[in-house]
Amino acid sequence: MRSVLLLVKISWRNLWRNPRGTALTALALGLGLALLLISLGLLDGGHEQTIAAGVRFGPGHVVIQAKGYQDSSSDELLLPATVVSRIKGFLQTAGMKKLVRGISPRLLATGLLSSSANSAGVRITGVIPQDEPAVSLIPERIVEGTYLRNDKPSGVVIGADLAHKLEVKIGSRVVLMTQALRQPGNETKNGAGEEMQSTLLRVSGIFRTGLQAVDANIIHLPLPAAQALLGVADGQVTQVAILLQQEGDSPGVARALRKRLTGEPVEVLTWRESIPMLAQILGLDHAFNYIMNGVILAMVGLGILNTILMRVLERRYEFGVCKALGLKPRQLAVMVVGESLALTAISLALGLALGLSVEHYFATSGLDLRWIFKAGLPPALVFDPILYSRLSSNRIGWSVSIVFAMATMISFYPALKAARTELPDALKTL
Amino acid sequence: MAVAEWAVELKDVRKTYRTGSIEVPALRGVSLQIAAGEFAATAGPSGSGKTTLLNIIGGLDRADAGEIWVAGQNLQLLSSSELAHLRLQRIGFVFQTYNLLPVLTALENAEFTLLLQGMPAHKRREKVEKLFSEIGLAGLEDRRPAELSGGQQQRVAVARAMVTEPALILADEPTANLDSATAIALLDVMEHLNRATGTTFIFSTHDPQVMERARRLIRLRDGQIARDETRDRQDAGVTAKGDAG
Repeated sequence: MRSVLLLVKISWRNLWRNPRGTALTALALGLGLALLLISLGLLDGGHEQTIAAGVRFGPGHVVIQAKGYQDSSSDELLLPATVVSRIKGFLQTAGMKKLVRGISPRLLATGLLSSSANSAGVRITGVIPQDEPAVSLIPERIVEGTYLRNDKPSGVVIGADLAHKLEVKIGSRVVLMTQALRQPGNETKNGAGEEMQSTLLRVSGIFRTGLQAVDANIIHLPLPAAQALLGVADGQVTQVAILLQQEGDSPGVARALRKRLTGEPVEVLTWRESIPMLAQILGLDHAFNYIMNGVILAMVGLGILNTILMRVLERRYEFGVCKALGLKPRQLAVMVVGESLALTAISLALGLALGLSVEHYFATSGLDLRWIFKAGLPPALVFDPILYSRLSSNRIGWSVSIVFAMATMISFYPALKAARTELPDALKTL
Repeated sequence: MAVAEWAVELKDVRKTYRTGSIEVPALRGVSLQIAAGEFAATAGPSGSGKTTLLNIIGGLDRADAGEIWVAGQNLQLLSSSELAHLRLQRIGFVFQTYNLLPVLTALENAEFTLLLQGMPAHKRREKVEKLFSEIGLAGLEDRRPAELSGGQQQRVAVARAMVTEPALILADEPTANLDSATAIALLDVMEHLNRATGTTFIFSTHDPQVMERARRLIRLRDGQIARDETRDRQDAGVTAKGDAG
């Protein structure tokens, strides 16, 4: 034990024989860790924002819809009113209530919206005006007028791109035309409830999300108006979208709902299942980021290997003396590994200080990328151009462990070199 | 076994260095006995085998053939680890260029081997301080090697070699980098320690002062012992024990 302390003391002092070299190496490794922390923070923050935006422009963290809807996208597949009631009742229980931020039943269909100037294909979303804001971002993105209200049953909210195309403004009249949904019991003689339906609506609000696919296609109207237009019985909807307090609770809540709704003709999906493309894009982004970080760490690692190896080769004679005095190969290796670990400890302290400072800045002030997206975001991208870093303690621990493990492994080769110092060759004068 | 009677005994030791197809014989059948407490020097021209002989006696190099007995152990039969242990416990080294660890103070350098032996701190300090005061290093304990003169550094190296109370000290041209007065002072220190502790000293040297002070002078030539002289310094008498040349 005493000899280990001596070796540690020698290692520490050896570090400062060349303070500039030590400082530069520590800075290189520290920068590697700092870059890792910053990129992971921005990546995780960006992903969290992307998921938050994706689920709030889409079906929420968890969505319940009629069995087969995800694959067929058939608007005729509806949830029975009894199931909707059971879902609402379950989500009001004490265990679920604290996890859930909002619940919104929606009726979805496609239609044609016409003004006096133009027509456009639209995605009809019938919503309960007081429920939808707790789930969707669209009510928050109203730029003109107001969102839907129960006392204005003929109101419709449309995107800015659609308003521009139809040349309408707040208060303008528009006609929504669609096909009544084929439902058991309302088939016509021709075999289906396929007759065209239309209704006169008044534009009550215009939203702008920055997402072309949303701003040019989506319209919101009160659920009763949508049900009447589509010939759907009261209480029937396409889906129940659920927004949770924490994204991480999605699998658990979905499991609980599946269990509760066992036997019902429904499917309960997490956002990863209902928006698989988003999950895949984030997965690819993660993989790409890991590769980039791997490259950065490998470059830093090679720099450290070179430094430690040079230090060992320069001191071959000294190691020879130590060995001649009775130091065992294992003890020589411990001395070199100790030196490397001391260097790593300094580097980690530097890297943590630098990385966490920058990460804190990006977490509070954000990284503004709007200058990149001056012309607007790509249609398929659900992305907030101001990125806020989010770094969990797990990520910090993981990053520090990775860098520490890398530096330790790298020191093994120079340590082996030192341990294999050959006598009497290393002592040229003896 | 008669071998234990000698501090060092070599029997027909041979060593040849090979570089590619070139073979350079360094020792060609050296046999030698050195008794405990001797103050002996090996001398000879460059390439005569002095360094190789010291390396082999110190367990830093291995002979191709023959037997090397040091402190009752046949070095040819020991593993690298056992040789390291023997060096730590029984052999002290003094190098031509001092070879102190630059990051340690004079005291830490001197106690280096004691620490490797696992001796507690207070005992180490006590031993080193006593030795330092004996050899004129008192007050220099906290200085780094770079802050010491050549003579002081070599004294620290002697202290490092002596402090474990080894049976044998091997000194490779210890005065080569010292001026005459400093060399004499260092030899005084080593001779004093030899007489006071009975530790066996073997030098390799070109320095006439060392040869003059050695009580036994082994002259090597072409890897063989050319002359082995034992001197009685009281009356300056010389007895040639053998001439293999």
